[in-house]
Amino acid sequence: MKIAVIDADPIVRDFVVGTLMYSVNRDVLPFENGLDAWMYFEDEGVPDIIVADVNLEDLTGTELLDKVKGFKRDTVVIFYSDLPEKEAMVKEAGADAFLAKPFGVSELFNLVQRFVVEDRSSN
Amino acid sequence: MEDCVMIRLGAEPSKMREIELDDVFMSRLQLLIIMSKAYLSGFPLGSHRIKSILENANHVKLEAVGLEEDLEWFAKDVAFNDTLGFDSAFYQRVKLLSVMAEAIAKGHDLENHKKEALEKNLNALCESITFNKQVSDMQFLKVA
Repeated sequence: MKIAVIDADPIVRDFVVGTLMYSVNRDVLPFENGLDAWMYFEDEGVPDIIVADVNLEDLTGTELLDKVKGFKRDTVVIFYSDLPEKEAMVKEAGADAFLAKPFGVSELFNLVQRFVVEDRSSN
Repeated sequence: MEDCVMIRLGAEPSKMREIELDDVFMSRLQLLIIMSKAYLSGFPLGSHRIKSILENANHVKLEAVGLEEDLEWFAKDVAFNDTLGFDSAFYQRVKLLSVMAEAIAKGHDLENHKKEALEKNLNALCESITFNKQVSDMQFLKVA
């Protein structure tokens, strides 16, 4: 199980990485922008779960989503944003989940329960 | 376009906003409480959980020190509450929790009286922030 978190804001990114790392007891890969993340995925493989801010630099969230789903269709892509209008946009683009800011520990634990525990038991 | 069901979590559309430093502090404190409760419940640790506890405890401790200093600067009265609604005693409890969580992560086995002190501290903090998450609800923490 490989998980990546992409966000230019280190305060939010580190919190999300730490919470997910504790939940699954696995390493979680942090990235500052979409392009760095995609270059890493091309070399090392696309993760099973990607959690990202919609507003990414260099490569936007939906551009990254297109690339990821085109490469590995079953990768779970979860976006978060503070802008309500982004919800419909990422839904249309095919995201698996949308986290509306501000969110906290409970929401991240719910994602782990849904996309790690339940998906693993259904496979 | 394929028909996909997207899960939605978090704030209602009318309440959406950026995550502020205070939000992160409160979320990290809640996470530290869950980490400590999981330890008291005998849930297993693993190398990444240990790393996560140490990092989180350090973040919370540094932030609590800063917030307490702000509080002391604004008021000499120890009963004064800051913009988050907390007094100096609350931040003392937060710092104590951080130190205890670090000890747990470093492999120090807490004796019974220290476990009781940890539980008492957790209860007081949960009361202050009206947080009552039960670790028994989080089945995935039972697996390392």
